[in-house]
Amino acid sequence: MSADTRVRPALKLSGVTKSFGPIEVLKHLDLEIASGERHAVIGPNGAGKSTLFNLISGIFAPSSGEISLNGRSIGGMAPEQINRAGLARSFQITNIFHRLSVFENLRIGVLARFGVRYGLFRPISGMRRINEETEKVLAQVGLESRGHDLAGDLTYSEQRALEIGMTLTTGADVILLDEPTAGMSREETAEAVELIRAVTVGKTLLMVEHDMSVVFSLCDRVSVLVYGSILATDTPQGVSANHAVQEAYLGQEAA
Amino acid sequence: MMSFRSVLLLATLLALLLAVPPLLDLAWQNALVNVLIASLFALAFNLLVGQAGLLSFGHAAYFGVGAFAALHLMIAIEDGLAFPTPLVPLAGAVVGLVVGLVAGFFATKRSGVYFALVTLAIAELIHALAPRLEGLFGGESGIGSMRMPFAGIVFGSTIEVYYLTLGWVLFCGLGLYLYTLTPFGRLTLALRDNEQRVRFLGYDAHSSKVIVFAISGMVSGVAGSLLAISNETANYSLFATDVSAQVVLQTFVGGSTVFFGPVIGAAIFALFSFLVSDLTRSWVFYQGLIFVLVMLYAPTGIGGAIQHHIRHRRQLDWPALAAPYAAMLFGGLLVAAGIVFATEMVAVMFGEDYARTREAAGGALIPFELFGATWSPTGPSTYLIPLVLLGAGIAILVKVRRRIDAVWAARGEQGSKTQTLATTGGIQ
Repeated sequence: MSADTRVRPALKLSGVTKSFGPIEVLKHLDLEIASGERHAVIGPNGAGKSTLFNLISGIFAPSSGEISLNGRSIGGMAPEQINRAGLARSFQITNIFHRLSVFENLRIGVLARFGVRYGLFRPISGMRRINEETEKVLAQVGLESRGHDLAGDLTYSEQRALEIGMTLTTGADVILLDEPTAGMSREETAEAVELIRAVTVGKTLLMVEHDMSVVFSLCDRVSVLVYGSILATDTPQGVSANHAVQEAYLGQEAA
Repeated sequence: MMSFRSVLLLATLLALLLAVPPLLDLAWQNALVNVLIASLFALAFNLLVGQAGLLSFGHAAYFGVGAFAALHLMIAIEDGLAFPTPLVPLAGAVVGLVVGLVAGFFATKRSGVYFALVTLAIAELIHALAPRLEGLFGGESGIGSMRMPFAGIVFGSTIEVYYLTLGWVLFCGLGLYLYTLTPFGRLTLALRDNEQRVRFLGYDAHSSKVIVFAISGMVSGVAGSLLAISNETANYSLFATDVSAQVVLQTFVGGSTVFFGPVIGAAIFALFSFLVSDLTRSWVFYQGLIFVLVMLYAPTGIGGAIQHHIRHRRQLDWPALAAPYAAMLFGGLLVAAGIVFATEMVAVMFGEDYARTREAAGGALIPFELFGATWSPTGPSTYLIPLVLLGAGIAILVKVRRRIDAVWAARGEQGSKTQTLATTGGIQ
């Protein structure tokens, strides 16, 4: 990490609050993710992890507080604007184009990266650079042989890989993954971890994850979110040794 | 990309469209003009419903403004404006595009049912306003104009109008097809599947939908212009709900999931109204019935069913299918005969003419004429014939369906085998 990125975190939340009516889901939250860091958010159900992701990615606007991406304020921007500012996210519930081919699913994002979002006057088949780039992402997520199949026909873990692939296509350098290994077998999880490790090299990763083994093997730091507040942010080892965290969260699992 | 075979098919179709019409009589030439216009309108409509997943119930609005725009331009040409008559549909394109942009901006702020309702409301708004705006739409009687000659072409005969229409329909149809091959065409499909994800990939979903809507409006406007050129007149009834409904029915009967599907539906319905509307007043009922039956038994439409067969042509045991398919056709004809008999009988017995003759006969249930025979309203054969036709037809269909399903299931086993191989290949 260069000195410059230390000064300016990739993602910074300061005093972020989100309430739905009288219910405060996130309470005055502060969080800094350094550029190039792999960071996990853990916490019990209902702690506000999904809301946190939805705020950062633009589904909701924060009620108060500041969110900045590479030093640029993004709080309250539309999802497409945040994406163009350099942040991409995946979804906990697979969120793909079911009736398009796997290749087409990825190409939509690649087109956005190369700025041909609304091209109307040239056939897509002639866009060599875009098709090559799509092939590259297809290979990265291990779906080369499935390129022509409909995304809806993929197996669950293949769809999860596609989900990650789509998140990569727009070329964002900050990646948000929402429970990328949820519902996977141990073997599939191990494969997914390797995939995430490989594709996030040189990028900043923020992920929601329940599986502690995934967090330990993948992440530099962990934040524990409980009832809308961050209880602790530390290395995985530090967090698991933290007494308050054990009581609030890990303790439940150990018991 | 298109296979050699489909190119050959299209070339044959094009040759027929070019060569056959001069040999036909005026009524048929005119019917073909209407088929072409309906086809283009349905293709434009399907850009929205089939590709973008936006079901509009008010497409008459864009078709209608296109027609009026063309007529106003034709009136100006009559008054001496130097504008080539063959390019009159450009007026419909421009006005369709502009009205589509404005209406689309509001309609696409919502999706699903709300989108459909907004489009319906916009069309109804224009329908209600049009008769009051005398200057624009000519009041209740509408406006009219003459086709002016251009470059030695008089545009006096129907065949000239036919070729002009054919040219525009092919041009716009090709344009819509090429559209599907562009990045924006692919984005349109992505919007249909998952609008939210499109936004998270950095696209402005609303603007994209407005553009799709406007393009659909533009081509609908061209179709409306072609109708105006053919009829040389238009009135506010072009904005009526049944114009909007017609294109919905045609598109879904033809198949919204296949690019050329809507053309099949449009051709069938336009020819059906040409052939049947003179024979019976119940033709609208038959049209509705066709729609309901297609939606129930072939939800992807005729085009979808054809595509399904083409996709599986190599795995299907065609000789085993031939007999059941023939039997299905026969059963279908029996059912159709039964329905037509019953419908026409009801139409006669509850019609005004029959009521009058009964009154003259002192209220007695007197016999009536139908299909060149005399039927007694109290005679058993009057009711037994349609019942037997329907019963026999349905029995055949039910039985034959099982056999057809069995043949398709045998294909399914082979199909799933290749599927499994592909899947294992994917994991390795």
